[in-house]
Amino acid sequence: MKILVAVKQVAALDEDFEFRDDGRDVDPDFLIRDLNEWDDFSLEEAVKIKEASAQPTTVVAVSVGPEEVDEALRKCLAKGADRAVRIWDDAIEGSDPIAVARVLAAAAKREAPDLLFAGVQSSDQSFASTGIATAAFLDWPHAAVVTQLAFTPGAATAVFRRELEGGLLQEVEIQCPAVLTIQLGINTPRYASLRSIKQAAAKPIEVVSLADLGLGAADVGEGGSASRVRRMFVPDKGHAELIEGGAAAQAARLAAIIREFKGVSS
Amino acid sequence: MSGIMVIAEQRRGELKAPSLELISAAQPLRRPGDEVSVAALGPAPERHVSALSLAGVDEVITVKTAAAEFEPDTFEATLSALIAQRRPDVVLVPHSIDSFGYAAALAAKHGFGFATDVFDIRRIDGELVATRGGYGQKVSVEVDFPGRNTVLLALRGNSFKAPEQIGTPRVTVFEAPPVAGRSRSIDFIELPASDDVDMTGAEFILTIGRGIGEEANVAQFRELADAIGATLGCSRPIADAGWLPKSRQVGQSGKTASACKLYIAMGVSGAIQHLAGMKHVSTIVAVNSDAGASIFGVAKYGIVGDIFEVAAELRRQFEGDAA
Amino acid sequence: MGRLAPAGRQLRDRVQDLIVGRIDAVTRILFESFSAAEVRLFYAFGYAAIAAFAYGVYVQIRKYRRGAPLKLDGSLWKRLGDMITAVLSHRTVDRRDPAAGGAHRLIFYGFMLLFFGTSTITLEYDILEPLFGVRFWHGEFYLIFSLVLDVAGVALIGGLIYMMVRRGWMRLPKLDYARPDRVPGDPDFDRPQYRREDWAFLWVLIAIGATGYVLEAARLVWLQGRPEIWDVRWWSPAGAILAEAFRALGLTEHGAALFRHGLWWFHGLLALVFIALIPFTKVKHIFTAAGSLMVRDPLAAQRLPRIPESQEQPGAAKITDFNWKQLLNLDACTKCGRCHEACPARAVGAPLSPRDVILSLREFAQATLESGTVPGAAELDIHGKSPGQVAQETLWSCRTCMACVEICPVAVEHVPIIVQMRRKLVEDGAMDPLLTKTLQTIHKTGNSFGESKRKRAAWTKALSFPVKDARKEPVDVLWFVGDYASFDPRNQKVTQTFATLLHEAGVDFGILYEAESNAGNDVRRVGEEGLYELLAGANVAAMAGASFKTIVTTDPHSYNTIRNEYPDFGGKYQIQHYTSFVKHLFDDGKLRVAKRLAYRTTFHDPCHLGRFNKGYEAPRDVLKLLGCELVEMGRSRANSFCCGAGGGRIWIPDPVGSEKPAQNRIKEAAAIPDLEVYVVSCPKDLTMFEDALKTTGNEGKFVVKELIELIREAVPVRLPEGTAV
Repeated sequence: MKILVAVKQVAALDEDFEFRDDGRDVDPDFLIRDLNEWDDFSLEEAVKIKEASAQPTTVVAVSVGPEEVDEALRKCLAKGADRAVRIWDDAIEGSDPIAVARVLAAAAKREAPDLLFAGVQSSDQSFASTGIATAAFLDWPHAAVVTQLAFTPGAATAVFRRELEGGLLQEVEIQCPAVLTIQLGINTPRYASLRSIKQAAAKPIEVVSLADLGLGAADVGEGGSASRVRRMFVPDKGHAELIEGGAAAQAARLAAIIREFKGVSS
Repeated sequence: MSGIMVIAEQRRGELKAPSLELISAAQPLRRPGDEVSVAALGPAPERHVSALSLAGVDEVITVKTAAAEFEPDTFEATLSALIAQRRPDVVLVPHSIDSFGYAAALAAKHGFGFATDVFDIRRIDGELVATRGGYGQKVSVEVDFPGRNTVLLALRGNSFKAPEQIGTPRVTVFEAPPVAGRSRSIDFIELPASDDVDMTGAEFILTIGRGIGEEANVAQFRELADAIGATLGCSRPIADAGWLPKSRQVGQSGKTASACKLYIAMGVSGAIQHLAGMKHVSTIVAVNSDAGASIFGVAKYGIVGDIFEVAAELRRQFEGDAA
Repeated sequence: MGRLAPAGRQLRDRVQDLIVGRIDAVTRILFESFSAAEVRLFYAFGYAAIAAFAYGVYVQIRKYRRGAPLKLDGSLWKRLGDMITAVLSHRTVDRRDPAAGGAHRLIFYGFMLLFFGTSTITLEYDILEPLFGVRFWHGEFYLIFSLVLDVAGVALIGGLIYMMVRRGWMRLPKLDYARPDRVPGDPDFDRPQYRREDWAFLWVLIAIGATGYVLEAARLVWLQGRPEIWDVRWWSPAGAILAEAFRALGLTEHGAALFRHGLWWFHGLLALVFIALIPFTKVKHIFTAAGSLMVRDPLAAQRLPRIPESQEQPGAAKITDFNWKQLLNLDACTKCGRCHEACPARAVGAPLSPRDVILSLREFAQATLESGTVPGAAELDIHGKSPGQVAQETLWSCRTCMACVEICPVAVEHVPIIVQMRRKLVEDGAMDPLLTKTLQTIHKTGNSFGESKRKRAAWTKALSFPVKDARKEPVDVLWFVGDYASFDPRNQKVTQTFATLLHEAGVDFGILYEAESNAGNDVRRVGEEGLYELLAGANVAAMAGASFKTIVTTDPHSYNTIRNEYPDFGGKYQIQHYTSFVKHLFDDGKLRVAKRLAYRTTFHDPCHLGRFNKGYEAPRDVLKLLGCELVEMGRSRANSFCCGAGGGRIWIPDPVGSEKPAQNRIKEAAAIPDLEVYVVSCPKDLTMFEDALKTTGNEGKFVVKELIELIREAVPVRLPEGTAV
């Protein structure tokens, strides 16, 4: 029994960031990288299923990215993943979620898991697409925004709940193998101590190329993507009227706004 | 390839409001001869025809699905067939929890141009250009779709205003191919409200966010809300931590502050999911110690300062008032 | 006048007789009137008692050896010498409780003298006389010996009576065994066995002492016919007084002989039983306390131990993960309650008493490690709520302020024990979610605020002069700024003020800018040793790349770890806390007080500067220089009361509704009439106390100020020569 967890090393913007010369992305010097917050939860869910399962179950973490992504994969190994796989080729540079999904689907065919987890979205680009696009390339049953899951490895179906708008939940049954995108709050991700991360450094990370997966340069990169970035820019912030002064003055003005509102509405 | 197709979503028999906003978004994309059609999928789609008969809609296509509620395989197979028959060059869906489940699959399967969480679309020199956020919504990104005959876009809610005028579209029926969906909906579950609060009906809301630090600090803000006559709300981290019941959470997966007219956010950074629930409010006051917090982008008034000091001072202002 | 002279002459003659004539005959005949069989029986009991004692010692030593190994540093002779000095002076028992110190001195010296006295008799009777024919226990020696031992006995009994009054009548809270880490209903909530043992010990020892005197008196009455005994009876004054009383009550020589015979057996057997039971009862503290003092680490809480390479799982999960010294510590505890009294967590109702952590673990060790075989690993787990175990909430309540370690009279080292147990909890991820998040944040950004590294020196932008980058150019003084001083808005103001003062004083200083990370002191005390190693390594590497003579810091936590712990990671530096550094600036005339501040102040000794590193005087000297009136709080210097932020507690939410240590402390200060300024010299103190000032309703009564801010008030702004305007 195997659960494949697709993870992403996301990038957050550092202080005083600058754009690249071509204006289509941020200068990488100003990017701070970390494991995607959603992936903490999807990995934890997989490890929980493994720990509760009577059958021996393997959890494999997979990610698409260059060498620096190893740090995120090592964290996954420290948190209970048995193996980690990283896929990279320079041609993958500039891929959007659809292109990445093509690669992940090929990796999933190679691993043949019983379940594939991805996060609902990434905290940097928030496409909310990679997991479901991968399902399409695999032609697997799929569902998004899973907030509770009951699955026994080896079973033909899984029952889960989706978190809908407005605090509503929907209970659904799905055929397996399936692709599920996991929502925040489904569990409490365990802490990986520095020591366990260091020890996980001893576990190898398998590096796989496009050729290993039977893909070519045309499947990935800008050519393989469903959209192309024309330009990236800092938008004008909405113009909030800043109330100046110390706390007392600010509170006084705010009180006036409140009283005015109440006077109008009452 | 011509025309703009809008996909309207429904749940439990009700049309979802964001679907109507797509109609307005579609209008600037018309090229001469382009029609805007709205497809309604569901067990009884004809019920939504009158709601969809708005200005700017040329055709309402009713598609009856066997599944009573949203099911990914059903949606994908049905929309694949519909798009294959009608061949629009732009398909608009809401960026909703449901579309998270089918939009990317549709785009991947058919090689459509694709972007999600789009809040602006236009044609530049005839080319479709969409704008979305990047790097945690700190930057804006303009994307286009060279060489794609059909582009599927998921639009962010509350970025466009639904049309107000009614129209007289023609109504057609599309026979969807039978689908053997690989998942089925069992039930809907409402989380029981642990207190009688009605966030969606509240006109004056005071929301607290991660900036309050510890659970012990909730009490002073509850008192403040009482003192100023506001309903106390919270952002997701507070509800996830159990400091306030989920019924008080405002945001995409919480409540929408539909009736709210004055919204004070204290210690709320303004994550996009929270904004989804409140950015429409006419008067928003943001109080945060971080001058760069996203919440200031949607606020009418901003106070950059220590939320505890401001809260204490505000409390003082209302001390004399009767309860 | 005339009538006294003959009496005086009589006395003089008598004494002369004694000294010249029959003094040699003065002695005590042992076992007088006992049959040979009785003597043999007594010796049999004696040997049995010694055997029981030896077995008891063996069991205890076997228990200690079942712990992890440890190599002591320093010379064993020096350790022995220091221990003897400490024990003889009773300095540690005196501290903060001179009454107990005095009473225990009486008991200790009384008991020691009596013990050595009796051993001396044995030495002659059983060894020297039979083997070598040497006798010394007679004559003048014997008389002085008797007097000294009589006085010793009175001292012993006097001390014991005081202790009984203390326990039974004074009812001191620290001697009350109520424990905050269990609730009523828990099997080990109430500990009647401790109370029973305490009273048994007192009564038995008093009984031995009292019967000793009665025995002495009975013997005197019995042998009053022998002048070599009766005439010198006042050399045993207590016995003599009792003898007179017995005679007055009509006790005859014959009656006294019988009485003495029976009482002799009672006294003897009681004493032998007492000796036999030493290793099995609290009396063993005679040895374990001395042993604990001998193996103490003077830097126990200031410099925590690294995880040994050989250790698989970090931290203490089983009782056998503690080393032999820690197991000895557990046995040294005499339940004096001083740590319990000093602990700030306990004072505000948290479920932690350092005393009860030690006692729980001691009970656990006794239950598991004193039998023939050691139980399996599953039964050695010390984490939990069963009897003998320590709960998570208890361990997480600790502020690592070392008040417990500092005051313990027998050198128990509580803090390293708690931190080692925390290491295991961290490895298991059993932490408050906010703490978990903070550790992840520190790992990611190198600071606990989650701010970008680039913003670390943002506070320098507001200054009118550039601050040197110590990574790029050599400086005299490297200023290690620290997280709170760099990122917290309130503390940034203090940092900027300090920078300006240094600049005006012409100090050649620089900072590490983005290369500085959280110093790691609190990360280590939380138990995340791996993250600490990362931080310490990063800082040591950054400092290796810079050129400087000395380090100064405004953060006592950073000061402690850089000074005491970084040497273990390859970083040995000369470092000062700013209070000492600034004192030197004043002494050298580089800073001058122009305006004397007449504030009524009190000074809060920060744990990591004061108690940890004995830095009490420099801030007080500076306050005096500034002209402030300093009124000490009751708990000051080594007894300063922690603000509650240490040990990672600033990253753990306090339970709703409970008092915080900082509030407790502010209330203490508020009791000082007309107090104007509460002075601190630590960034966390500033944050915690300003908050507590508001929440205790004392805002407006007095202010909380950093010493640096007072210095700024007293020293006028003066640009150094050559500065461009």
